[in-house]
Amino acid sequence: MERVILIDKLVKEFVVNTKEPGFFAGIRSVFRPKKKRVLALDNISFSVDEGELVGFIGPNGAGKTTTLKILSGLLYPTSGLVQVLGFDPWEKNHKYLKNISLVMGQKNQLWWDLPAVETFELNRAIYEIPNRDYKRSLDELVSLLEVGGLLNVPVRRLSLGQRMRLELVASLLHRPRVLFLDEPTIGLDVLGQTKIREFLVDYNRRSGATMILTSHNMDDILNVVKRVIVINKGRLVFDGPFHLLVESFARKKVVKIYLSDSADIKKFEQYGKVVKVDFPEVVISVPRETVALTSAEILQNFPVADINIEEEPLEEVIKKVFKGGKVKDA
Amino acid sequence: MHKYFQVFKLSLISEFAYRFNFILWRFRNVIQILVVFFFWNSVFSGQNEAVFGYNREKILTYVFGILVLRSIVLSSRAVDVAGEISSGNLTNFLIKPLGYFRYWFTRDVASKVLNLGFSVLEIALLYFLIKPPIYVQSDFLTIVGFLISLSIAVVLFFLVLFLVNSVSFWMPENAWAAQFLFIVIILEFFSGGIFPLDVLPSSLVSLFSYLPFYYLLFFPLQVYLGKVSYILMFKGIFISLLWLLILWFCLSKVWKMGVREYSAEGR
Repeated sequence: MERVILIDKLVKEFVVNTKEPGFFAGIRSVFRPKKKRVLALDNISFSVDEGELVGFIGPNGAGKTTTLKILSGLLYPTSGLVQVLGFDPWEKNHKYLKNISLVMGQKNQLWWDLPAVETFELNRAIYEIPNRDYKRSLDELVSLLEVGGLLNVPVRRLSLGQRMRLELVASLLHRPRVLFLDEPTIGLDVLGQTKIREFLVDYNRRSGATMILTSHNMDDILNVVKRVIVINKGRLVFDGPFHLLVESFARKKVVKIYLSDSADIKKFEQYGKVVKVDFPEVVISVPRETVALTSAEILQNFPVADINIEEEPLEEVIKKVFKGGKVKDA
Repeated sequence: MHKYFQVFKLSLISEFAYRFNFILWRFRNVIQILVVFFFWNSVFSGQNEAVFGYNREKILTYVFGILVLRSIVLSSRAVDVAGEISSGNLTNFLIKPLGYFRYWFTRDVASKVLNLGFSVLEIALLYFLIKPPIYVQSDFLTIVGFLISLSIAVVLFFLVLFLVNSVSFWMPENAWAAQFLFIVIILEFFSGGIFPLDVLPSSLVSLFSYLPFYYLLFFPLQVYLGKVSYILMFKGIFISLLWLLILWFCLSKVWKMGVREYSAEGR
């Protein structure tokens, strides 16, 4: 497998002007701006093989977008090595740019006042896509994303979900080998998110393109990627298969019990933390290792109609990852 | 199809997406021509002597000429570049195999072609309506010199505008102020857009003639009006070419620094 993305000891520092609140402070900042150094990425290293679909997660301000911007050549790294497809992204070699695409959920490239098909035509010219390839790509993307009826409508009249799907078409017409997606489902309704997600998985399988996806929507990660990279405060916290992330951070399981008769709720406390009591439902959180024993005992000692053992909600797990921050390589 | 031709086509289409806007803008232009025409017409009415070397015919040609030149030289889409930088839209261009300067120059040219087309129509119409005395240049070499200096002016303005817009890289919230100061005040004044520069003391005029702004409107028009000798014409073309090189050099340096400063933020 060819290594497509290589990042080694990447550091990115921003210098920002700070402004204190208040009128006089505002005037002072014009003459003597206070500069502050912010470390956005602190010694990040990872690599991605061809065809991989990697989820990049972290809270707001963790450095996800900064990394994608460096990978697509928009930001100049303070130090460290960055190589994609054998190119240094910052050089913005046209051969490189023809092989990548950056999709940002909060930014559009479609011309606002014109139908999307005009922007597609422009991209065809910019990326110098041969006519036949262009037609094939367009037909394929349009049917996958179900946007056939929207091509000739001025972009301003489209809904956010429709626009996002057309943005994807515009970004993929030139069949990029590497695709950076920054929050592609942000602001979309559940149905819109699902459509985009299904498309991304499908596209990755069909085209074999290497993809990095940032999101703080856990469903994106759960349903789309196998490998996750977690960063927090500019540091790499976890890099490995998704199930390993869950196993190493989800120490507890959630046991949901439906009682058939009233029982002494207090007695549940001996098994674990009682999370919720809403008769007939009782939810307790139990350490992973003892869950089998505990459920057997509960079945014996309580009038149980039904019992369910579930994983901790993903959000909780991720919260722990961000808080605890033990580095683990897989 | 060549990529910049596609850009050109799309620019024209998008200008037409704002049809009503465009028509109103042209309407404003016509009104402006009429106002200026009647103002100078009444200043010179009743007396036929020259004021500052301008008689009625020449001042009216100057006024008309400035308006036409303005729609060629100063009409531009590249004024949006500052906004593109501060809103983070520049990102869309930096990640594509596309020359940013060439892209915007193409969009400028599209806008100029459209404006020029319309202003020719308007002027023809106005000419038949108010029959102003217009000076028609017939000397071949002068016309060639005029066309050359006009082309230089177009590129010069593009470079100046881009340089001013680059301020956004460092001060994204102050870009409009820089643009206003430069384009509306300094540029209009020093380029002769407000009044013919040669009504000022000649020492001042010759000082101005070493600034790039002089070559945007005033110089091409002076050439057309036949007010400069061949020698001065060549000298002017030489100085403006020199400015063109200097500004091009500065812009490519500043732009490189700016893109490095750019953090692709926004929205």
